[in-house]
Amino acid sequence: QNGAGFSKVRGSQSGQDSTRWHVVRKFLGLLSSHNIPVYLIDPLILGLVDKDIEQIRSSPDGPSPECKYFCAPRDFTTFALLDKTWKHEGGLFRTAEKMGFQWLKIINKDPRLDGMDDLSGMEIPLHYIFKLASHAIHLVVFYERSGNFLWHGPLRLKQHMDRKFVPFRKLHFGRYPGAYEKPELLLVSIDDLKVQIPKNPSSFLQEMSHSRFLECRYREARAFFQLYPDDASLDAVEFRKKAKSLLHLAALTLNNLGVKFWLSSGTCLGWYRQCNVIPHSKDVDLGIFIRDYKADIIPAFQKAGLPLKHKFGKVEDSLELSFQGEDDVKLDIFFFYEEDDHIWNGGTQAKSGKKFKYLFPKFTLCWTEFVELKVHVPCETLQYVEANYGPEWKVPVKTWDWKSSPSNVQDNGVWPVDEWDDVIQIY
Amino acid sequence: MDEWKPNPAVKPHKKRSWYLAWKYKLMNQRALRKLCQTGAVLFLLVTVIVNIKLILDTRRAAYEEEEESAQDYDDEMLNVEVPRHPVNNKKVLDVEVYSSRSKVYVAVDGTTVLEDEAREQGRGIHVIVLNQATGHVMAKRVFDTYSPHEDEAMVLFLNMVARGRILIFTIKDEGSFHLKETAKNVLKSLGSQVAPFLSWRDMWTFVGRKGGEVYGEKHAKSPALSTWGDPVLLKTEVHLTSVEDAECHWPDTELNRRRKRFCSKVEGYGSVCSCKDPTPIEFNPDPLKDNKVFDVPVAVIAGNRPNYLYRMLRSLLSAQGVNPQMITVFIDGYYEEPMDVVELFGLSGIQHTPISIKNARVSQHYKASLTATFNLFPDAKFAVVLEEDLDISVDFFSFLSQSIHLLEEDESLYCISAWNDQGYEHTAEDPSLLYRVETMPGLGWVLRKSLYKDELEPKWPTPEKLWDWDMWMRMPEQRKGRECIIPDISRSYHFGIVGLNMNGYFHEAYFKKHKFNTVPNVQLKNVESLRKENYETEIHRLLGEAEVLDHSKNPCEDSFVPDTEGKVYVMFIKMEQEADFTTWTQLAKCLHIWDLDVRGNHKGLWRLFRKKNHFLVVGVPASPYSSKKPSSVTPIYMEPPAKEEGAVAVPAVAAAEQT
Repeated sequence: QNGAGFSKVRGSQSGQDSTRWHVVRKFLGLLSSHNIPVYLIDPLILGLVDKDIEQIRSSPDGPSPECKYFCAPRDFTTFALLDKTWKHEGGLFRTAEKMGFQWLKIINKDPRLDGMDDLSGMEIPLHYIFKLASHAIHLVVFYERSGNFLWHGPLRLKQHMDRKFVPFRKLHFGRYPGAYEKPELLLVSIDDLKVQIPKNPSSFLQEMSHSRFLECRYREARAFFQLYPDDASLDAVEFRKKAKSLLHLAALTLNNLGVKFWLSSGTCLGWYRQCNVIPHSKDVDLGIFIRDYKADIIPAFQKAGLPLKHKFGKVEDSLELSFQGEDDVKLDIFFFYEEDDHIWNGGTQAKSGKKFKYLFPKFTLCWTEFVELKVHVPCETLQYVEANYGPEWKVPVKTWDWKSSPSNVQDNGVWPVDEWDDVIQIY
Repeated sequence: MDEWKPNPAVKPHKKRSWYLAWKYKLMNQRALRKLCQTGAVLFLLVTVIVNIKLILDTRRAAYEEEEESAQDYDDEMLNVEVPRHPVNNKKVLDVEVYSSRSKVYVAVDGTTVLEDEAREQGRGIHVIVLNQATGHVMAKRVFDTYSPHEDEAMVLFLNMVARGRILIFTIKDEGSFHLKETAKNVLKSLGSQVAPFLSWRDMWTFVGRKGGEVYGEKHAKSPALSTWGDPVLLKTEVHLTSVEDAECHWPDTELNRRRKRFCSKVEGYGSVCSCKDPTPIEFNPDPLKDNKVFDVPVAVIAGNRPNYLYRMLRSLLSAQGVNPQMITVFIDGYYEEPMDVVELFGLSGIQHTPISIKNARVSQHYKASLTATFNLFPDAKFAVVLEEDLDISVDFFSFLSQSIHLLEEDESLYCISAWNDQGYEHTAEDPSLLYRVETMPGLGWVLRKSLYKDELEPKWPTPEKLWDWDMWMRMPEQRKGRECIIPDISRSYHFGIVGLNMNGYFHEAYFKKHKFNTVPNVQLKNVESLRKENYETEIHRLLGEAEVLDHSKNPCEDSFVPDTEGKVYVMFIKMEQEADFTTWTQLAKCLHIWDLDVRGNHKGLWRLFRKKNHFLVVGVPASPYSSKKPSSVTPIYMEPPAKEEGAVAVPAVAAAEQT
């Protein structure tokens, strides 16, 4: 009877499209009849919903006087499906066909098995598109990944596929793979349709704009280990274990503070080159934009059981913090300063007060999975690594002098002696 | 006598159990030295035999080849007159079947579907089943009917093949020695005229439709005991039927669609493909109340034994509280048929390209499977690890659901295992009883993710180390003094008889009499007493209550334990230090339980049942429980039998066979 209600709306209000509303309703009916829970992630609708969120939360069942959200004429509406909540049964598609839907499935390799030698699972569905009349539903399949986050795959068409099935370029999801926190959901009634949405639409939209995910280069990492067999000594195993737990602790601490960070220097190289911690690296390196600096960082790490080992520079210039982890493994945090055409971080030699500057081309941040953690890395990783380690970064080097080895190091003068007490603190 | 040994260099099939016996005994230094001596003598002998045989073989092979080409030529001549084109729209398959001493092959429409010329393997009757509508190979088996019992397996298999299928038979080397009347009659009922008279070293090929016409049969008699029949090549045509005729007409449901796909591809699974009354492929066992393991992933480690996998998955999916969505089957290699079985049950399967050989290959497959399991189920704190040759008890998940919190909370635990190495029909009694043991039994067990990720995965043996993963896991460097929880009555049953370390002989001796729980919903007793400290209290209580047996009697005799029920008895054996298992091993031998290495011990204490009484064995003075020994009692010492050359495993096996 709802449908009848809105059919009238169609005539009365121009620019409204009840086709979309009908298709969404049919789609939701189809999925609920197969007990498949989905939630709305359409950024345009969530944007509208976010404006009225208080009202929608307070009246989860209220009838709507007009079709506000699902009637704006669009080519498609986007929903999310958690892979583990359904059984991949063919029945869904047969019912869909009977209801008049045409559907398209985009499958690809399972990235959770990609890191592994020679395993071939079945390909997994990444996206579905259900089309009825002039409207399409884009259903994005989310998978749980190690590191307690959700992942969706890229949408890539295979050769034989109908490239005009929907205007693929306009889809909001699928240009890149994405990483998301597991959302809290809220069941609401909007436009007389019962639908689940992320509890906090605005933070979901925020997350969406920075969701791009980079898979580790597993194949290249395997090739690397062919060339340079992995160090399987007890020391290496122990160091990796400590580095991993230190990184987990650092991520927890910084995430709690809401400070964005990324894998830098040797840790970044380890991820990019071998998808693992480099066993002879002896420390864990993180980068943070100086604009994200918070005074709480030092006390927070101390509280987490990581005492400050040294602090070089100051917030205005060349800040660098180092914390002492378990047995000699240390955590280095470099702060990065953004200029118009490059980004840099600083270094300080304690005994001479000499300053160094490490230059990087501009970069943005992407998510990745590393040692069972969802962390940021520079999206333009190759440039970042090459700036730091030069074109020979693929060859492991055991002796590394941070003052001369990096290819992007520049002398940057000397700290004035009267500032030494402040800019060179060693504990 | 010698003439009655065909192919003297073909090693007897007992060699697998030898290998196993070695594996376990290698720890024993003395045995090792003896073994080396024996080994050297054996090696010399084998070398001599192999060399003589090689000379003979080369001569024979040259002779045989001449003969074969002659035969080929003949057949070509004969075949000229046979019409080669299909008549009446019916598709026709050309089938060629070759049987000889050293080689068999089958070609369908020019495509070789079987070719076996490997030395010293593939002996017996090869059977191929073709789909009567498509001509696709649905099953390929070889039954070594030179050896006992293989003919029974063949009969079982042939009975399972659906009517209408095309059956192709060919013999390699020898296929008649243990081909009994029953099997011959089955072959006869398929239309073979020769089968009833098949004899020593005859060559034979046969093509027929099950329950229908015969397409051809050829036979060559062996002229003398010492020689083989001439190679035979059968060329014939098979008329295909329509697809509809070859399929069953089950109602169109999701399940039946899976069934149809499966049944049109493979054969030998019996009633699952029966048209009239197919056996279910969905089981819907009762759910478990408060199931603590519903979200625990289950990794099934499989190789290329699809029939085993089929049996295993049936029992797994019938267990109460099973969650099929958490099951992943890991197949070691690109084998189609195991994957077909996985898909039949609607489960997910992952194939693994083999990257090593033998034991190391199994070990690498395990590692890949475990890593993949925790990747696919990143939230999981545990994984259940199963193998394709296990039956799973109906209360397997109930057993785990009741005990898994221990593995989470008690860091002194290494695993929970469904298998009690010492739980035989005559030594296990109480389905609600659990033990702590210092050994890791495997065969259906739970692995903690943190143990895997933090300890095992980073230092897992690399492929060049040809180690057994389970032996590696049992090493002190890995186990670090931690223990496993096991039930008195096993919740898994090891039915596999063909495997890397397994054969019928060995299975008969060590696995067949294993007790397996079939009671649903067993409420486990006193689970909290399995925690580290509580367990000591429990053991002291038990020992306090236990009646000391008469140590002047022979512990191997039945009368050693009084004819009571439900009592607790204790005996003390000599155990000089922690690793002195001399007496225990002898005792295990005469009790007909696992004696190939030491299993099931906890601080020098073993717990089992005899005549329905709880029976405790304490090793004195090594065990901390030695203090419970009354001063008047002298611990029993049992001497190992005087070592004869090469007698390492045989006495144990022979003893077990008597039971």
